[in-house]
Amino acid sequence: MTSTPNIPKGPLNGIRIIDFTWKAVGPWSSRMLTPYGAEVIHIEPPHEPDDHRWDIRPAVGRNFDIQAKHNDHLFGNGADYYSAPYYSQLHNGKLSASLNARNPKGKELLEELIKKSDAVVENFSARVLGNWGLSWERLHELNPKLVYLSTSGFGHEGSLSHYRTYGPIVQAESGLTFTSGLPEREPAGWGYSHMDIAGGWIGGLGLIMALMQARKTGVGTHVDYAVTEGAMTLLGPYFLDYHANGRPTRRPGFPPGNHSEWPPVAPHNTYRCAGIDRQGQDWWVFIACETQEQFEAFANEIGKPELLSDPKFGTMAARKQNEAELDEIISTWTAPRRRYEIQDRLQAVGVIAVAVQGPEDRVDYDPQLRHREVYPVIQNPEVGEYEIEAFVPKLSRTPPDNSLRATAVRENEQYVYGYLLGLSESEMAALRSEGVI
Amino acid sequence: MTKVFDGLTVIELADRRNQMVGKIMSDAGARVIQIEPTKGSPGRWVGPFLNDVEDPEKSLDYWWFNTGKESVAIDITRLPGQQMLRRLIEQADVFVESTKPGTLAKYGLDYASVAPSNSKLIYASLTDFGQDGPWAQLEMNDPAHLALGGQMGVGGYSDPKETPIGGQGRQAYNAASVITTHSISIALWDRMTTDLGQYVDVAIHDCCAICTERPVSYWMWYNQPSVRQTGQHAGPVYALPIQVQAADGRHMNARFNFPNNVWPKMVEWLTELDVVGDLASEKWLDAPTRAAAAKVGGEIEVALKALLAKVPAQEAFERAQAMGLTWGVIRSPEENLDISHFKERNFWRDIEHEDIGKTLPYPRGFYFSEGLDVSPDGRAPHLGEHTKAILSEKLGIDAAQVDLLAQTGVVR
Repeated sequence: MTSTPNIPKGPLNGIRIIDFTWKAVGPWSSRMLTPYGAEVIHIEPPHEPDDHRWDIRPAVGRNFDIQAKHNDHLFGNGADYYSAPYYSQLHNGKLSASLNARNPKGKELLEELIKKSDAVVENFSARVLGNWGLSWERLHELNPKLVYLSTSGFGHEGSLSHYRTYGPIVQAESGLTFTSGLPEREPAGWGYSHMDIAGGWIGGLGLIMALMQARKTGVGTHVDYAVTEGAMTLLGPYFLDYHANGRPTRRPGFPPGNHSEWPPVAPHNTYRCAGIDRQGQDWWVFIACETQEQFEAFANEIGKPELLSDPKFGTMAARKQNEAELDEIISTWTAPRRRYEIQDRLQAVGVIAVAVQGPEDRVDYDPQLRHREVYPVIQNPEVGEYEIEAFVPKLSRTPPDNSLRATAVRENEQYVYGYLLGLSESEMAALRSEGVI
Repeated sequence: MTKVFDGLTVIELADRRNQMVGKIMSDAGARVIQIEPTKGSPGRWVGPFLNDVEDPEKSLDYWWFNTGKESVAIDITRLPGQQMLRRLIEQADVFVESTKPGTLAKYGLDYASVAPSNSKLIYASLTDFGQDGPWAQLEMNDPAHLALGGQMGVGGYSDPKETPIGGQGRQAYNAASVITTHSISIALWDRMTTDLGQYVDVAIHDCCAICTERPVSYWMWYNQPSVRQTGQHAGPVYALPIQVQAADGRHMNARFNFPNNVWPKMVEWLTELDVVGDLASEKWLDAPTRAAAAKVGGEIEVALKALLAKVPAQEAFERAQAMGLTWGVIRSPEENLDISHFKERNFWRDIEHEDIGKTLPYPRGFYFSEGLDVSPDGRAPHLGEHTKAILSEKLGIDAAQVDLLAQTGVVR
């Protein structure tokens, strides 16, 4: 058989991962290994390809007419689908095969694959793999070196393990949502599923650590990653403040918007600038003076050196005390000015000042991201060239390969079932007709 | 049982950006030696402080981010300090630093200078913008990263005139630290075969820029700008609110979609509380009718708000989940201390602070795993607590010499 997949050369060559992930938090955890040469086989049910494959918005892509090519999200026309761009993001570099794990023959195939693999990764709800007859005990019995990363909102153990979650629920339950908002207002939240992306990175870190542990000891392990606990771990100091000082975060004044409570710094806020974006939202700049020297430079640059000798603003403690009044003074200065002009002028004198950038600013303007090639253009045989978010760390000897794409539905079945499991064409055809693959 | 990073020595040059990297590696078994300035890591000067007394030994923030580490206080702006740090790095497996590009080169401590004497070294720079680029020298802090990197721009309230808002808790540093620790792990994996180290360059700005989920793709692929929306995802159009206040004043995330098997239970609940209105009528048994109505709010939105106005959040959470609804309570972090689920999962780990005669429960860490026990290994160090011991052990400098160096302000 010849259809050897195009895996990039890298330190993880030879590592094979069975990937039952969907949505975002699970896909990210295994997607962090493909740029380093791991073979990640993304398995989808035979007649229900991953829902992100058809995640096309009703608009015309600026570089290609993707809408026309993906007009049938139920895959009724039998065409091979490469992927919607967001699928390409989440499952970048993975191989694709279909399998019905609930079918006894499907389960048999899966068990053979598991014996030949280093890890199984999934982010179903807690009971799914167990219902397939693939408890951790069974997985371990099939392959003692196997690593099993399960990702779910509340984990596989504990009285809430069967509770349903998605990113926003994880953030709500953990306390992460609560930490974002203006004082005495309802929570503002994060505006995106932080725990689907950063939470996926935490899963990916657990995966590589567990693979390394298995490589060192010869014994695999189950990493029961509850994303809610991941988020709570990102909030450590609040728990210590509660235990040591008895201070809850549910208190007047918290969360403090964009002000800084610890350390007490003023100015430290967003300030309205000239102009609005395409949605009518005002433009803003974030300014902070963490040191007295920065505030001296700031007062001078905005033409208000008298602030330095004003008892209300002369020291950090005084500025913090009179923060609302200081914010007004600064807003008056920023309001008629452009955000990048403010950034340039204040940064030139050593003050923390940056534009609050939207997606358009980052993709089309940000010279730093361009310089670092954070949004490279990749090739997709179906839709041609398009931009993607890179996997951004830079490693001098083993850099991540950012030229990879996602694969079409079932693109690598010949490799998975023909080469890895040694099935003949007729055997595969029979399995297809039975709906196993 | 040995932990995954047992046997590794990590030298961490103290900085608020990278302390989470050292914490994860220490929790995972590495010996992490933090090199602090003699007046203490910048992290020690960040509150909250124990009993609100501003003291570098009492920063709870520092305690959290530095569990299990050892502290060696060296002034690396001084030549003898630079020499000591160089010798420590020469013996280390991993060096983590967050100085501005060019800073350590002046001291002969950049990768090019130290790598020749330690080919196995993994040298990780976690910095604001990486080592190069037009913005590499900008002044930043964590909320500035959320602003420039995109998180703040998509977070906040639905009113387009209101300020965008970034979340608290230094989540830009945290996210970039996770990516950095992953990169170090990849480099360690490679080293197991090649016996060679390498240089890792991670930019917090780059990490933030790929962290905001859909708004970048809406713009990049479809030219659709996004709007901020209270308590939910930014997107090209305003969506129905999902954040609803419950009877006890707390808010919930409650989506207005009800599968057929759930709808009768919902009607029952609405009826019990006398807020069902027209929703018990037959037309609402039709899923497409409900879905179409849910897109514009209307009766369903009114009824749900009326229902939650009569039910405390926890009760609503439990009943909704039992019905099969993906609802949650917007809790403050400390409200999770009362949830037995996390105790059952051994999430709280007692860390002894013998110096203050207290034991404090710390979050265990990301993973519940017997085989991968990544959890805190003791309290954070006192400033310079291990200076003498480590300089003696690693560099053969005896106590009298250390005292002399301390008198001249090179160590503490």
